[in-house]
Amino acid sequence: MVSSATFTPTDDDIAIVAVSQTRSYRLFNDSEQMMIMSCVNDLLSRTGMDRNDVQFTIAGSCDYLSGAPFAFVSNIDGVGAWPPVYESHVEMDGAWALNEAWHRLMLGDIETAFVIGSGKSSPGTPRHVFPLQTDPYTAAPLGLDYISIAGLQANALINAGKATERDFAEVVSRSRRNALANPNAQLASDHSVDELMAKPYYSSPLRLHDVPPISDGAAAMIIARGKRALELTDKPVWIRGLDHRIESHHLGLRDLSVSTSAKLAGEKAGVHDGPIDVAELMVNFSHEEIILREALGLQDHRNVNPSGGPLSGHPVMATGLVRIIEVARRIIDGEARRGVAHASSGPALQQNLVCVLEGGD
Amino acid sequence: MTELSDCIHTIEYPYTRSTGPYIGPFLTGLRDGKLLANRVGDRTFCPPIEYDPITGEDASVAFVEVGPGATVLGHTWVSDPSTKHPFPHPFAFALLRIDGADVPMVHAVDAGSPEALAVGTRVAAQYRDDRRGAITDLYFVPEAAAVVQNVVAGDEPVLVSEHLISLVVREPLFPHRRRYAEGLLAGKLIGQKSSVSGKVVVPGRGYDNLNRVPLTEADELVISDRGTVSSYTVLTPVQYYGQKETEPYIRCSILLDGTDSPIIGVDVRDIVLADFRVGMRLQAVWRKPEDRRVDGLDNRFGGSWEDVIERWEPTGEPDVDPAKLKDYTW
Repeated sequence: MVSSATFTPTDDDIAIVAVSQTRSYRLFNDSEQMMIMSCVNDLLSRTGMDRNDVQFTIAGSCDYLSGAPFAFVSNIDGVGAWPPVYESHVEMDGAWALNEAWHRLMLGDIETAFVIGSGKSSPGTPRHVFPLQTDPYTAAPLGLDYISIAGLQANALINAGKATERDFAEVVSRSRRNALANPNAQLASDHSVDELMAKPYYSSPLRLHDVPPISDGAAAMIIARGKRALELTDKPVWIRGLDHRIESHHLGLRDLSVSTSAKLAGEKAGVHDGPIDVAELMVNFSHEEIILREALGLQDHRNVNPSGGPLSGHPVMATGLVRIIEVARRIIDGEARRGVAHASSGPALQQNLVCVLEGGD
Repeated sequence: MTELSDCIHTIEYPYTRSTGPYIGPFLTGLRDGKLLANRVGDRTFCPPIEYDPITGEDASVAFVEVGPGATVLGHTWVSDPSTKHPFPHPFAFALLRIDGADVPMVHAVDAGSPEALAVGTRVAAQYRDDRRGAITDLYFVPEAAAVVQNVVAGDEPVLVSEHLISLVVREPLFPHRRRYAEGLLAGKLIGQKSSVSGKVVVPGRGYDNLNRVPLTEADELVISDRGTVSSYTVLTPVQYYGQKETEPYIRCSILLDGTDSPIIGVDVRDIVLADFRVGMRLQAVWRKPEDRRVDGLDNRFGGSWEDVIERWEPTGEPDVDPAKLKDYTW
């Protein structure tokens, strides 16, 4: 086991040097570029860097959300349209953009990268959009949407005897209460478990409050390698492990009450190679927290989703990157020394990414 | 003042996909009122699977009929169905183990009420009258509610699946676009001047994309509706299906006085082709207020200039030296 107290970064280590995010909006009445621009300008002012000093740009976004083909190209306006940037894009949450940027910097020829995740879900109808990522012959024509699949997974968890509806309500009650202290949250409230249990079902056993809000938002960070990170900040947040795994798209082949891929990604990322001060998990639906805690060995951890998590704001394509930012910010602020961030993608936690972050001395 | 409504777009992709040697027979079976499965290792899959999920080897194309009964392994009750769902009324999506198969499939159960379903509930396959060789030909009901159906088989195998994806997106005009649209209706071109570079563009984007600065109403100004042709092209219509044009016409870029980026795609009909040239000075002639329209304008595309401007007239001023316009062709 690596003791965090003895960790000394080398020239090959990569750190988050600055983070930024917008609020989570129900409807941001301006362009996605404007949200990205506010994050990019914030990052440049925090680091004192010129935009041209950042050597690589990678963004995660999805044109289907706002129904604008090639929206990802105009998003570059948010970084500055001229001179041209060295750019890549993933049709994935920004957490996967970080995964690519992390590997890109490991090649050793460049030292800095922008990582961006952004999305506007408000113009579309997410329940109509998300079935399109399911099997086009046997599922998409049924309109098999992400909320219904989450309902099936929550039901599987109950049928396996691993959770009750009260457990789901407890996750919501705590998450949205935590969100009262998060200025970026879209939904924050103090409701007891009993109050929540009195609400009607939406997609049983899930109630509407077990489902994430529809959100617009953006998040971004600058990462840097080795000495460059130390030049840019005196509080680098080192990426100590990052791994992502994917399971079958065939729901019938999976035990929906567990997350094999999150467990594996957590082990490979070294979640338990040191003490964990904070964990931010991409709990889009309340029952997912129970599955993810088990997969990552965090069953009894007292500091999971202090931001309120995605139940308090779910800017699709930025939500996962926000989890990493929430952990990094707590390390920068000295509230935590070592933390775990998790992002997911696809129906019923099909894909899971785990990132372990650690501050310096 | 015309009330400006939200921008509403319908995006449609009429997907047609070949069905292949596994899904094809399965969808053909649904059209003909039966459930087909295949066997991989020691498990039977319905719908048939194309490959062994463990080894990746091609799966067997020896199909067996399974069902019509099935057992509920888990379900969710959809209280508020979307327009993409198979039923307009509340129903269940369920994980179902079809009799004779091992690996569960997800499908819809028209169960009437959530109390009708639990783990272990027996259900049965039913087929729609209007079948098209799609997964939506099938649905399930509680076994007691199942009726005997006389499904007439079709002739040809289902080789292609058709799935129309149709998404409606709706958003308000962004504030700067709304001010721009209101300007057009009032016969004014509103541009934005960068607070950093001083460059003026019309229409504005709400930001300066070179300097990454948001621009606000305070950065807006009314632009001259007089300018200089900075580039043009002559389109000669080809008579394809749906073509409405018959005569050659001009599309040009015009650098409006006091701006740093031309307006583009301006339709010109009233100037003789032989006289048209880069450097020519033009003046907009606006449509009458009651004839101006901005419904083609949204947050991304500017609509047609012709919706608000009737025509552009030569001013008779001396030409601008084309060499001075070389950076303003687009």
